Amino acid sequence: MLTESGSDEQPTRRAKIMVVDDDADLRQALSLRLRANHFDTINVCDGYSAIAMAQKEKPHLIILDLGLPAGDGFSVLKNLQQYPALAAIPVIVLTARDPEGNERRTLESGAVAFFQKPADNEELLGVIRASLQAGWGWGGALPS
Amino acid sequence: MEPEPARVLLIEDNPGDADLVRLRLVEGKSDVQVNCVPRLADALACLAVETPTLVLLDLNLPDSHGEETFRRIMQKAPNVPVVILSGQDDKALAIKAVHLGVQDFLIKDDVTSKQLERALRYAIERQGLLHALEITRQQQIEFKNRFLSHVSHELRTPLTCIYQYVTLLLDGLDGPLAPNQTDHLKSVLKSVNQLQAMIRDLLEATRADSGKLRVEPRCIDIRELIQQAVAMMRPTAAENHVSLEAGLDQTIPLVYADPDRALEVFINLIDNAIRFTPPEGAVTVKASMVETDPSAVYLSVSDNGCGIPQASLPRVFERLYQDPNAVDGNRTGLGLGLYIAKEIVTLHGGRMWVASEAGSGCTFSFTLPLYSLAKLLLPVITHQGRLRKDIVLVRVELTPLSKALRGSWKEVCQRCLERLRQCIYVDKDLVLPPMETNGAGEILFVVASTDMTKVGIMMDRIHDQLGALPKLKASGTIRVTAEAIPVSPADNPRTLEQQVWGVADYVTAVIQQGFESKQNFTEKENHTNAN
Repeated sequence: MLTESGSDEQPTRRAKIMVVDDDADLRQALSLRLRANHFDTINVCDGYSAIAMAQKEKPHLIILDLGLPAGDGFSVLKNLQQYPALAAIPVIVLTARDPEGNERRTLESGAVAFFQKPADNEELLGVIRASLQAGWGWGGALPS
Repeated sequence: MEPEPARVLLIEDNPGDADLVRLRLVEGKSDVQVNCVPRLADALACLAVETPTLVLLDLNLPDSHGEETFRRIMQKAPNVPVVILSGQDDKALAIKAVHLGVQDFLIKDDVTSKQLERALRYAIERQGLLHALEITRQQQIEFKNRFLSHVSHELRTPLTCIYQYVTLLLDGLDGPLAPNQTDHLKSVLKSVNQLQAMIRDLLEATRADSGKLRVEPRCIDIRELIQQAVAMMRPTAAENHVSLEAGLDQTIPLVYADPDRALEVFINLIDNAIRFTPPEGAVTVKASMVETDPSAVYLSVSDNGCGIPQASLPRVFERLYQDPNAVDGNRTGLGLGLYIAKEIVTLHGGRMWVASEAGSGCTFSFTLPLYSLAKLLLPVITHQGRLRKDIVLVRVELTPLSKALRGSWKEVCQRCLERLRQCIYVDKDLVLPPMETNGAGEILFVVASTDMTKVGIMMDRIHDQLGALPKLKASGTIRVTAEAIPVSPADNPRTLEQQVWGVADYVTAVIQQGFESKQNFTEKENHTNAN
């Protein structure tokens, strides 16, 4: 389930994370942060492209905003579940919306975690690593 | 179109007076239907079935007198105009009635048909206007709350962007920074955090205003919660050169409160205390039991800062109240923290108050209810007026595989609790409300009124059922243990209630022990993996 890389060994394969958010600046900032932590990133700005890109790129994890054009976060979650190849990808919801009501609904729709913006960087990275380690779709080594 | 006839509910026990009023109403040629009842109870029954246009009542009825009469009527039918028709000209009572919302106070002997008809007509109009005004007021509050909620959410998006780029720069991801650049960015980050706290307070206050603030009480060890709050606030205290200590009574039983909300209250009060305490000052958090009130725990946060002037004391819990004496004068926040804290405590059924003497600091105190296990246990562990012989406590422990999976873990535990309720052996068995453990793990308890053999079957069932939950499989482990609870002998002279209290005390002690062992919890412990 989980393969730890040796402490000094550079991982040979990098986990690919898709960031779905309609705010271009935020997408860019998140991507920079993720790349600095040795993840590959794909940026997507709406619900429709999220599904199309997920099918094409098969990311190991998705960070998803709820308020999106062309299919909101909930419809993205629902659509992902309909493709066997995508259903297992862990999705972390990152939204400006209230946890009240939305948290339970996103988790019931298949997301693995809910964060309200602005989320603490270290907490978010911690959950990203844990989700990848928990065996959903990522068999490679993780950078520490 | 002809207006509908007014339906008057007349409450009058004297048949002569009743007829007279009826006659006067008809004489006044107003288009009215009169329904006359002699007692308050009859009137309340009528109001439950149908809402009249107006209630006309005598105050002294066979089953009710004076103020009580119209209070009960107005409680039952808050939007119906009420006019009193009294035999006595009691001016003080009349004014009081009008202040409480009665539309008119007429004296039987003074009123002519015309006057009565006119008084009733105007009473109906006035009540209608009041009602319309109330609806407008409600709509305005609703609009204000929606507006605030919308604005707060919209503010979060740009704030997130600022946070992301500032932390990128601060973490050196865009290249090395000069020392003063780092300092400046830290100031930006501090302001971002303050802005975030303000948005959170704004949303919380809006929720409190519209009655949407909710608490989910659980059984918690309040001492652990206070230690957590103190640990969280220690850096802030150190930054301000203020000492922060907790003095905790070791005998405090379990408290029934929402851990997240209660933590919010402590953080709020401690943060507040630090802000009003000059360097070298001290902030102390206390928890204790008070002999005169055994159903609550008494909590307090005190400081030895500048104190609050007597004149301001009644206002500190008001929204937007800001004390001019803050040590860091221009960073006082929105003035919503204490208001929210008090709302949260009130929602728990507790009280919050403040005491202060100018110059010698102040103390914010509040109460939270204790958890009454005995009440929950009574139907489970008694049978035909006696204590059941076999009582077993089943302990279910859920441990997440990774501490970071916080978001989904809460949901996993919720599912487990729901599933656990389906596993109990007889419907009398009791799944206790979740126990806060403050660790990432969750401990759930079932009190079963059966023997160990049957509980063995129940434990297997719990294990199979919870283990089969896909979410738990992916993220955690489960361990189920059971313990028989000694029951006092049947010939014990104590009352049944005392015996139930005894069992409850014992169960509480076992649970508290569980908390303590949890604190010493090590990863080496052997768990049965759900996989």
